[in-house]
Amino acid sequence: MLGFLTARQAGLDDPLRLRRAESTRRVLSLELNHDRDVDRIHSNGVNTLDIEVIEGRYMLSGGADGVIVVYDLENNTKKPQYTCKAVCTVGRSSRYVHRFSVETVQWYPHDTGMFVSSSFDKTMKVWDTETLKPAEVFQFEGNVYCHHMSPIARKHSLIAVGTKDQKVQLCDLKSGSHIHILQGHRGEVLSVRWSPRYEHILATASTDSRVLMWDVRRASGSLFSLDQHNGDKSKASSQAVNTAHNGRVNGLCFTEDGLYLLSTGTDDRMRLWNSANGENTLVNYGKVCNESRKGLKFTVSRGCIPEFVFVPCGSSVAVYALHTGELVTMLRGHYNNVDCCVLHHDYQELYSGGKDCNILAWVPVLRLPDIEEGTVAKKGGSQATVNPAFQDAWSTAPHEGGRGLTYCFWILLTILEVVTRP
Amino acid sequence: MDHAQRDKLSELVEELTNSGEPQLNPKKLNEVKKICKISIDYIEHFYHLIMTQLAQDHAEIRLSAFQMVSELFTRSHHFRILLVDNFQEFLDLTVETDSDEPLPPPKEVARKLKTLAIKTVQEWQATYGEAYKKLALGYHFLKQVKKVDFHDVQARSLAERKREEEKKERLNRIYKEKVEKATKEMDEAKEEIERCLTEINNCMKLLLPTEFDLGDLKTTTEATNSIASVSSVPNEKTNTSMDDQPCCSKDLDDGRKRTDPETSRGMSADEEVEDSSEDEDNVEEVVDEDAFIRNTGLISHKYSLDLNLSEDLKLKETEENEAVVNTMKDLYTLISTKHLPAVRSWVQVFTKAGVPDPLLRQAIDLKNCLDRALQKHKDLHIEYKARQRRVMKAPESSDEDDFEEVPEKEGFEPHIPGHLREEYGLDEPPSTSVACKLSVQPPVNHHAPSVPQFPSRPRNRTADEDQDPTCAASTLRLFKQRLPKGLVSSPSSGGGVDPKDMARDLSEDRKIAPVIPFGLDLYYWGKDQPTAGRIIKNHSQHQFWVPTEVEEEVENKELAAHMKSRYITFAGSFQPVKHRCKAPMPNGALCERQDRVKCPFHGRIIPRDDLGKPTNPEDAARLDKEEWKRREEQPDWRDPELMRDIELATGEDLGSSKTFGKGNKGKGKRKKKYPNLSDLKKSGNTSRSRLEKKVFNPSSMRRVTDVMNKMDKLKHAKFANQFNYALN
Repeated sequence: MLGFLTARQAGLDDPLRLRRAESTRRVLSLELNHDRDVDRIHSNGVNTLDIEVIEGRYMLSGGADGVIVVYDLENNTKKPQYTCKAVCTVGRSSRYVHRFSVETVQWYPHDTGMFVSSSFDKTMKVWDTETLKPAEVFQFEGNVYCHHMSPIARKHSLIAVGTKDQKVQLCDLKSGSHIHILQGHRGEVLSVRWSPRYEHILATASTDSRVLMWDVRRASGSLFSLDQHNGDKSKASSQAVNTAHNGRVNGLCFTEDGLYLLSTGTDDRMRLWNSANGENTLVNYGKVCNESRKGLKFTVSRGCIPEFVFVPCGSSVAVYALHTGELVTMLRGHYNNVDCCVLHHDYQELYSGGKDCNILAWVPVLRLPDIEEGTVAKKGGSQATVNPAFQDAWSTAPHEGGRGLTYCFWILLTILEVVTRP
Repeated sequence: MDHAQRDKLSELVEELTNSGEPQLNPKKLNEVKKICKISIDYIEHFYHLIMTQLAQDHAEIRLSAFQMVSELFTRSHHFRILLVDNFQEFLDLTVETDSDEPLPPPKEVARKLKTLAIKTVQEWQATYGEAYKKLALGYHFLKQVKKVDFHDVQARSLAERKREEEKKERLNRIYKEKVEKATKEMDEAKEEIERCLTEINNCMKLLLPTEFDLGDLKTTTEATNSIASVSSVPNEKTNTSMDDQPCCSKDLDDGRKRTDPETSRGMSADEEVEDSSEDEDNVEEVVDEDAFIRNTGLISHKYSLDLNLSEDLKLKETEENEAVVNTMKDLYTLISTKHLPAVRSWVQVFTKAGVPDPLLRQAIDLKNCLDRALQKHKDLHIEYKARQRRVMKAPESSDEDDFEEVPEKEGFEPHIPGHLREEYGLDEPPSTSVACKLSVQPPVNHHAPSVPQFPSRPRNRTADEDQDPTCAASTLRLFKQRLPKGLVSSPSSGGGVDPKDMARDLSEDRKIAPVIPFGLDLYYWGKDQPTAGRIIKNHSQHQFWVPTEVEEEVENKELAAHMKSRYITFAGSFQPVKHRCKAPMPNGALCERQDRVKCPFHGRIIPRDDLGKPTNPEDAARLDKEEWKRREEQPDWRDPELMRDIELATGEDLGSSKTFGKGNKGKGKRKKKYPNLSDLKKSGNTSRSRLEKKVFNPSSMRRVTDVMNKMDKLKHAKFANQFNYALN
């Protein structure tokens, strides 16, 4: 660390280098920290999380009970112990609350004054953060599984919506109307994602096991569909169309630079695709447990040397190296299936929400302060006094005494036996 | 890490978890703790061992493992870290958080494990919850998602205690109320009961001669004071002792006098004196010997007198003692239906509520008195007259013959005696019931008594009654109309015999006679049957062509017999088996089977005594022989018990398990690895499993397949040429 700092100061290194090294270290040392808690507001599973990118301070969560909560992540108390407070809540008592499970929430990428939520009650609502009232409500014909706003769009303000219907809907925030539909899927659309690189590029995933890439300027159809066999017909002979997975595809995520696309499916696989040409990079992540019938929200790190992907896997969050497919660690803390996880890119803190109603904060372990040896012992001793729970509690004396007694008794018995033997 | 220590640790864990006991052996547990104390490595090893044991599919193993975990959890920080890190799995295995993976059997142990685990997790949460975040998370998960009610676990004991107390209080209150009520009732009813008792005692006194020993009947009762004085009367006194009656009896002297002759008669019948009765009287009164000899004129003192006093008293109700007996009877019913149940319920209430002694004693005394009174009444053996008749008779002293005594009857009577028929507006029998007419007894009509005997009734009245549908006559008329005329009222020959007697005899006969269906034999009853059994073949109707030989008549014996005879199947009636097999069984009992001839286990049923030994010597000999034969087949030295003993002693297999097929196989052969664990497979001894064993055993399966194959083959053979059968 010090080496990096001096190199940085001397200008020997690229400024990015220090940043990358440190953020990689932090990601690798993520663990459940009992200094950081998140208020337990949801009375049912947490389906979706989103952290705004402007300040990196507020986090949205949507629950299966229809409740939307805004948390303040910033710790201003100057103590290590911090519980993320719920700043405001669209609770069951609110008259604008979603009637059914909220599937996706997303901050407006350019301002915290607005966020969008979609729900199984067939609506998508655009909320004003100040008043917590919906500024606009979009109605759909089927349950809304997911929606996404382009994080980089300048020329349009479209929201892509995946519903129970096969068509992907495009809603325009400017006009407040459904302006476009994209036809091509043959099943429910479980996940939609805008490319972070090109503002008109959209990826959609569906229960028909296909992932389609679209250019929304082109009306006729999708650009291409991802093929898990890369056009190797011998393997895909049974299927007439290209498939990305052998089951429902329920999660999509672009890498930070938009060059790669990750997809997860209920065939317990995760695949990494070249988003430019739709080529399967054939990275093997092993088995990624995935039983969700709905969309799965997972995330990719930003600015680390090997990039990492955080993907819910059963009741834990698996951390893989993006390009090698190596399983780095499993973050185990939830007691039921995890549905979503989101990474705070500035602090490398991971928040995950699951069916056990918890939102867990995974915080990097702080580097232990380098202290001279003499003080270490003292420090350790004092720590032990701070928390008696960490002490061992071996009871000793009574057993020793008891054994001694029995031993004596034994000797006596043997003597007796010897004596009485004829 | 020392290998020996490590192995020992594994061994200890294995032993402890497989002990199958609800509590761990503290000695072994201490050893485990001691090993774990040495270093972290052992703890890790222990953790892995324990997790494998926890994953076993046996609730007892899991329970023991869990107990060890809870021991270590409170002691070692490192173990806590390890366990909390894998807390999800731990909860899955102990608290059953995953509904897809229920806890393994046996069920009771699993339930115990679950409650224990929940309780323990709560305790852990209380002490370590803050320090170990995942522990807290798990606790909250259980509490909020799994809705485990920790408070209940904690508060149950307290709440239960409270509930119990409340219940007790309520019961007490109820008892108190009951006691109060009972006391009040008793106070009210006591007088009446006592009066009743006095009355009944007096009645008895009146009915009984004093020499009847009343001593045992009245003792403690306060109510029977009056009788107590009677008991003091010397028993030897006979009728003459009347003068010595206590005053209370004297008051009722007249009544007594009335009853006396009756009872004394009864007594004299009972006391049969072998010599003369006067002698007896005298003998008893005389005290002085000489005087005795002088007075009686007997020669010797050596006469022996046998007094035959029968214990049974028999009282007969007569017109003299009627009033007393009636009163007594009323009192008896009063006591038995009203007072005694009431007193009994009081006693019950008092004993249940645990009231102070005097009250209970009083109630019990009352009850005893009543019981005694009833007993006394029973001892009297009073023969009551039939009440109804007495009621009838009471006003009837004028001896009028207007009313004849008739047995009571209700409603429609199918059988009306002949002499009453007229009264009912009917004409004469013999055909009162349809069954009679259809029954195929030899026709008896001509014997039947005739109408003319009762010519009195005017016809029109009968007709009137016929019109009334509620009258029995109309019903009979209907029957009559339905039946062929000839059968209904055939004129009787009215021979010299008394027709009434005849009719009675016949009707009795008819009751016994079976009803059988009409048949050809009855059709030809008493007739000559020229054509019976002959088949007459018609001549050919053809004009020219005549068959060569025509046998015109064929005598068919079978047919002929059929026409003349009748088969009656005699099935007999079912006789239930009364005897038992009674062969002695190994468990000491006697075989309870009730087979008619042969017991499937002990062979032919032979008469046996209570110990199961055959009573007939030849049976015994036969059984002995058989036993001997069986012994022969298995030589003495191969006695299974002995062999097993030897095997146990030497540790070598002599094949005792092989020699005896059935009974001994399971015991000796495979020794269970962990004998204390309850066997999960053993519980499969259900009716279903037994049936399965029968149905799916290879030989029966083979039989079934054989039969089915055969059927298949038959079909193929039969329909081989038909394409649609040939194909399958």
